[in-house]
Amino acid sequence: MTYTGQCACGAVHFTITAAPIAVRQCWCRRCQKMAGGGPAHNAMFPTEALTITGPVAHTGYTADSGTAIHWDFCPTCGTPLLAYAPVARPHLRAVRLGVLDQPNDLAPQMVIWTGEAPAWAVFDPAIPQYPAAPPAPAPKAN
Amino acid sequence: MPAPYTGGCAGGAVTLHIAAEAFGASQCWCRNCQRICGGGPAHVAIFKAGDLAISGALRTATGTADSGNATHLNFCAACGTQIHGGSAAVPELLAVRLGALDEPHGLSPKMILWTSEAPPWAVFDPALPQFATQPSGPAE
Repeated sequence: MTYTGQCACGAVHFTITAAPIAVRQCWCRRCQKMAGGGPAHNAMFPTEALTITGPVAHTGYTADSGTAIHWDFCPTCGTPLLAYAPVARPHLRAVRLGVLDQPNDLAPQMVIWTGEAPAWAVFDPAIPQYPAAPPAPAPKAN
Repeated sequence: MPAPYTGGCAGGAVTLHIAAEAFGASQCWCRNCQRICGGGPAHVAIFKAGDLAISGALRTATGTADSGNATHLNFCAACGTQIHGGSAAVPELLAVRLGALDEPHGLSPKMILWTSEAPPWAVFDPALPQFATQPSGPAE
């Protein structure tokens, strides 16, 4: 299983050599800001499966849970690239679905943070919805 | 909510103030919008460029639309949040990302563009008009 991808301007390239652990659509307010007003779409991959080439800019914040979150984006075109929690979940990288080449077999499996979605949002009725964070699928690594 | 609108980026380095009402808002699934918006569609509201006041450092990515028109996308240099974009064909207008506006702003998409480039899992509001590419006719 290999996925490839790139940012909008082509300065950053991705190669991912594993299947994702999960794919989620997130309507939290911070994701809406990052994603132009709609939800973010994240595919969670094992960190070691991901190779990125090109310049990457970093930003970050502390989540309500206290977890430090890093966000990477292309400094040339601003394309959101990935998010990760280097201390809490160092083994995972959440790749923004938009950067992966299409067609691919990835699709959101759940919708999270519907409680922060705007009134006009529509959700796929075929997948589970959670008003905030989803139930933990597995114990944390630490 | 009526104008004025306020907003900013995710990290707080960029703030914006928009003095007058939007002409409309739309949702766009073109492949480029999916790239810069994390995999889903872009959501924009169209304003007169002269009605925007922005503080903080923006960075600009330029490109060429399928139409041949030069485009510019402007994002926060510090956190990457997409703030607005525009086309050389209509320099008097700017498309501001709905995500960059403070809530409640009351703006919502009134049409869906470029459904032909949407991924198979996309869901569309059945109450909104849909266009496989973009509507024909003038932009204003």
